Amino acid sequence: MKNKRILIVDDEEVIRKFVKIQLSKLGYEVGEAEDGEKAIAKLASEDFDLIICDIMMPNKDGWEVIKEVRANPKTKDLPIIVLTARNEDIDMFKGYEIGASYYMTKPFTKGQLLYGLKLMFEESTNEYSL
Amino acid sequence: MDNRKGLIIILRWLIIIVISYLILFGRGRIIDQNLSNLLILIYIASNICLIFLPVSLFYSSKFFFSLVVFDTLIVSIGMYLSEKMISDFYIVFFLIIIFASISRNLKLLMIMGSISSCVYGLLLYSRGLLLTSEGGSYFLRIPFIFIMTAFYGYIVQTLTEEKREELVISEDKYRGLFENANDGIIILKVPSLEIIDVNMEVEKALGYRKEDLLSKDIFFLIRSEEIEKAKDFFHKIKQKDGARTDELSLIKKDGLPIEVDISGKRIDLGEEAFYQIIFRDLTQQRILEKKIRDSKRSLEAIFDGIQDQLSIQSPQFTILRVNRAVIKNYSTTFGDLLGKKCYEAYYQRSTPCEKCPVKITIETKKPSSSIYKLLEIDKTLQIFSYPILDEQGNLLSVIEYVKDVTEQQRLQDQLIQSEKLAGIGILASGVAHEINNPLSGIIGMAELALEEDDLNKQKNYLSDILSCAQRIAEITNGLRSYSRMAKKEELVEIDINDILESSLKIVNFAFKGIQVDVERQFQPLTKIKANPGEIQQVFVNLITNAFQALNGKKGVVSLMTKASEDFVEIKIKDNGIGIPEKHLNKIFDPFFTTKKVGEGTGLGLNIVYRIVTKYDGIINVESKEGVGTTFTIKFPRRDYV
Repeated sequence: MKNKRILIVDDEEVIRKFVKIQLSKLGYEVGEAEDGEKAIAKLASEDFDLIICDIMMPNKDGWEVIKEVRANPKTKDLPIIVLTARNEDIDMFKGYEIGASYYMTKPFTKGQLLYGLKLMFEESTNEYSL
Repeated sequence: MDNRKGLIIILRWLIIIVISYLILFGRGRIIDQNLSNLLILIYIASNICLIFLPVSLFYSSKFFFSLVVFDTLIVSIGMYLSEKMISDFYIVFFLIIIFASISRNLKLLMIMGSISSCVYGLLLYSRGLLLTSEGGSYFLRIPFIFIMTAFYGYIVQTLTEEKREELVISEDKYRGLFENANDGIIILKVPSLEIIDVNMEVEKALGYRKEDLLSKDIFFLIRSEEIEKAKDFFHKIKQKDGARTDELSLIKKDGLPIEVDISGKRIDLGEEAFYQIIFRDLTQQRILEKKIRDSKRSLEAIFDGIQDQLSIQSPQFTILRVNRAVIKNYSTTFGDLLGKKCYEAYYQRSTPCEKCPVKITIETKKPSSSIYKLLEIDKTLQIFSYPILDEQGNLLSVIEYVKDVTEQQRLQDQLIQSEKLAGIGILASGVAHEINNPLSGIIGMAELALEEDDLNKQKNYLSDILSCAQRIAEITNGLRSYSRMAKKEELVEIDINDILESSLKIVNFAFKGIQVDVERQFQPLTKIKANPGEIQQVFVNLITNAFQALNGKKGVVSLMTKASEDFVEIKIKDNGIGIPEKHLNKIFDPFFTTKKVGEGTGLGLNIVYRIVTKYDGIINVESKEGVGTTFTIKFPRRDYV
C-alpha cells in the first residue's frame, strides 16, 4: 500500500515537529508548511491525502486555506482537520460551515489526533490503515 | 382779480366818485379848497394802494375793520366838508352803518337800503329840494346811500360768512375728535339721562347703531343688577362734576356684558347741562391680564416643578428667587434665603466659591458649568449658570441650576468598570489562545519523550517542553499588570511609556496572527499621577482600534510620546482604513459604532474620552479614509510634591 501523505500547516514549529514525528512513526509521509501561503503553494506542487491546518497564522489564515482548497477542483474533496486554539463553539461552526472535515482544539493529545485521522480515512476510503 | 378784492375796490371807486362830487359841487363847498382836494387825493390814493395789496389781505378781518374805520372817517369828513354838517344826511349815513352792523343778511340790508334811499328821496322831493339849483347835489345823495349800504353790507356779510365757516371747520374738527376717539363717548341730557349723541366707538363696542341709542335712557345699557351702582355713579358726577369707575359693565346688543373703565363729566353749555360719559372696553385688557397671569402661573409651576435646584441670583450674588427643590433641599423657607448671598446661604462661606460658574457668568455674561464633588455627603453636583440679560445686554441676574449627578457619575463609573471587565474577557480568550499553543507543544513533546528510549532524543524533546513552558510563564507575567485593572486603585505616579508598552503587549495577545509592524518613538517623560488601570484602558482601546483599522492587512502602527512644557503628549497612529468624515464628530459618543452587533459596544472610544477628560486631558483625532488615523492625547503636566 502506498503511504498516505499528510500536510501539517501551523506557525508553531514545536507542534509541526511532534506531529510529524508521531505520524512518521505510523508510516505516513508528512509535509510541513508554516503559514497559509506556503501551504497553498505546497498543495499546488505536491499531492496530499489529508491536511491538518491551524487557523491563526500570519500571511494567510486557516479559514482562507480551507476556502481555497475547497474552491480548487483538484483538492475540493481533500479531508481537512482543523487544529486550532480557538475553542469557542462559534469558531467550530464556522469551521464546518466553510468546509472543514473535522474540528480539533488545542491543547490535544496524541490519542485525540489519531482518532481524528481514523475518522477521516475511514470516511473517505473505508480502509483501516492504522 | 379776486372777486372780493375787485368788488371792494369798485365799490370804493363809486364812493370816491360820489363823495368827490358832493365835496366839489356840494352846497357847503369852498370852505377849505385845499383840505377838500387833499382828502379826495388821499381817498383815491388809498384805493390805488388797495390794487397792489395781496389778495390774502382781503381775507383778514383786521384789515377789513381798519378799512371800515378808515372809510367811515374819510366819508364822514367828506360829508362834513361838502354839506357843512347836514344833520339829516349824517343820520341816514350812520343809520346805514348800524343797520349793516346788526344785519347779517345782505339781501335784507339792500332792500332796507333801497327803501331808505327811496324814502329819503321822497322827503327831499316833497320839500322841493331836488328842483333847486343845488338839486344835483341833493339827488346824488340817493345813490350814495345805496352805495354805502352795499359797501358796508358786503363787508359785514363777508365777515359773517367767514366766522360761520370757521365755526363749521372747528365743529368738524371736534366732531372728528369725537367720532374717531378710541374710547366710547356718550352725551347725556341732564337730568333725564337721555342719550343725545354717541360716537362711532360706541357703535363698535356695543354693536348698536347710533339711531338705536338716541333718545334712549342710559340705564338701557346697564345690567339690571348694576343699576344701583350706576345711579351712585351718576349721583357722584352730579355732586363732584365728575366720577370714574371700572366696576360697571355695559350690555352689548347681543346681551353680553363688557367690562369697561368708565368716566363721567358734567358739561354746562349756557342753560343746558350735559353729562359726557367716556368708557374704554376692558375686555381685551382683561384677557391680556389673564394671559399674563396664566403664563406667569405656569412658568412658576414649571420653575417649582423642576426637581433640580434652581436659584436666581443678582450680579452681587444675592438670592432673588429659588424654586421648591432648593427650599426642600435646605429645609428652609424662601424668606430665610431671600436677600442672602448664595455662598453664605448654600455653602456657609464668606466669599464666592472657587470655580463658581455663577461668578464666571457674572464676569463673562456667558453660560458656564462645573462639577463639584461633595465628599462629606458623598454627592456629585453639576452646577450650570445662565445669564439673564436686558435688551442692552446688561446682566440682570443669573440662573443657577444645580443638578445632582451622583447617580449619573456612579453609572458612569460602573460603565467604565464593565468595559474593563469586557476588556478582560477579550484578553482572557486572547491569552487562552496564546497559551494553548505552547501547551499543545508541551503535551505533544511529553508524549513523545515518554515513548522514546533514546536519551538524546528525549533531551531534545525535553528542551522543547522547557521552552514552551517558559513562553507560558512570559505570558502570565505580562498579564499581571493587567489584572490590577479590575481593582479600584488610588492615583499613583505612572510612566506613560511603561503603560503604553504593557498595553501593546495585551493587544498583541488578542491580535495574534495578524502581522503588524509597531513603531515606537518614545521620549523620556515626567510621571503623571493617575490610575494606571484607566490609562492602560485608554491605550488598549486605542491600540486595539488601530490594529482593527488595518483590517487584517499588513500595516504600521506608531506609538509616539513627547514631553512639552505643559503637556505629556501621546500619539497613536495607524495607516489603516481611516474614519469617514461624517463619523468623525460622533466617534466619542456613547454607543456609536460601525461594527456589527456583538462585535463592538460603541463604548470603547467613549470610555477613552471620559477617562482622558477626567484627568483634564485633551483628545484629538485626525483621520482620512484610506490613509489612516491618528489619535493625539495630551495630559497636563503637574508637579506633585
